[in-house]
Amino acid sequence: MNSFIIGQYVPKISWIHQLDPRTKLIIVFSYVIVIFAADSALGYGILLALAFLSTYLIQIPFKFIAKGLKPVWWIMVFTFILHLIFTRQGDMFISVLGFGLYDGAIIKAIEISLRFFLLILMTTVLTLTTTPIAITDAVETLLGPFKKLKLPVHELAMMMSISLRFIPTLMQEMDKITKAQASRGLDFKTGTLKDRAKAVLPLFIPLFINAFRRAEDLAVAMDARGYQGAYNRTKFRELKFTGLDYIIGLFVITVFAVFFMTGT
Amino acid sequence: MNSRFKTIDLTLGSVFVVLMMIGANIAYWFPAFRITYAGGEVPITLQTLFAILAGLILGKRLGAFSMIVYLAVGIAGVPVFAEMTAGAAQLISPTGGFLISFIFVAYLSGLVVEKMNRQSISTYMTATIVGLLTNYLIGTPIMYLSMNYVAEASTPMNVVIMIMVPYFIKDFIITIALAAVLPQFITRLTKAIPSLAAR
Repeated sequence: MNSFIIGQYVPKISWIHQLDPRTKLIIVFSYVIVIFAADSALGYGILLALAFLSTYLIQIPFKFIAKGLKPVWWIMVFTFILHLIFTRQGDMFISVLGFGLYDGAIIKAIEISLRFFLLILMTTVLTLTTTPIAITDAVETLLGPFKKLKLPVHELAMMMSISLRFIPTLMQEMDKITKAQASRGLDFKTGTLKDRAKAVLPLFIPLFINAFRRAEDLAVAMDARGYQGAYNRTKFRELKFTGLDYIIGLFVITVFAVFFMTGT
Repeated sequence: MNSRFKTIDLTLGSVFVVLMMIGANIAYWFPAFRITYAGGEVPITLQTLFAILAGLILGKRLGAFSMIVYLAVGIAGVPVFAEMTAGAAQLISPTGGFLISFIFVAYLSGLVVEKMNRQSISTYMTATIVGLLTNYLIGTPIMYLSMNYVAEASTPMNVVIMIMVPYFIKDFIITIALAAVLPQFITRLTKAIPSLAAR
């Protein structure tokens, strides 16, 4: 339980760590869009180069990155095999038990698994180098224009930070409740379906009551300190673009623009 | 403040995001919640039930909004999704549609409770069934889109439906069984937390 670390952030000093979270968010999201536009070996080559360059620059041991890739590798393998078997493009050069292996299929299989790989790699680089709180701040500023449309952008960011604060607390609470009820002989494994459903109550009622009590207390504390929502609110952590942001941002945007013009 | 969300709304919605995370990963605390199925292990998640609860307890608007926050926290890299995963890539993976559907699940189940008489088992049953159907009616087509356009593996719709049927049956049994104890659950909850009773 204690070995579980919230988030994937690894503190280091690197160019990518020092970038403004807004720059990183914009780059990663445009990267994700560009991946779907990529259509040629050159295109994938450039994207791969960019991804490897950033993985190199963050100076984080590979085992952390591999941990980020773990939940999706089966999708990569699955789509690879699926394409190998079912895609019928190009020339058939080998035939096993009535299934033909086409060279088009190999290219397609590599393309699609590469797509997943790059997608995960770049989003992992983002979360490895940026704290969730920094991402929350960046989301609030980037979505700022939507406040004009009366969308609750500030509330979104505020709720994101409050939930980040409560995740460890409530997980610990759940741990305690689990142990307390297990020691009282809580049993899911026997009995009718109805009995088993009822066995969930002694677990969830303390959990929910505890969570909502904390929420009430926090709301009272916030109100007592004069919380008024977004209006006239100043920030403790100010986001600032530096020269590095402009250079890297411009570089990446130019690459992506060329990408779209030439249609690779 | 523009009086759309009060402070108590913000904090209640936020703790619900965390409850969602616990519901999604309940097997983490209870290995009994893992069932072996066709050689593999399928952990039971209570995400759908919790999304329905968000609508029931918080109301349609705040419930749906807290689900949006849940997705946003996941995108920001905190492992709140099932199996302790995170990241924007989860949303476009084949099961991403089920995550997106939680917003509508919470909204619609909240709507059902607002339209019907409160505190009766039939209300909760209707809300639960509406929520569960919404979950699959949105999740399955998005799974189809994701398979065909993200993975570019042309999978016909009926194959996708075939894949999801066992999951639907599993979710249906679990969610309905738990919905049966909901009236008791919510009565006790509102008794303990006065600010919930006011909703």
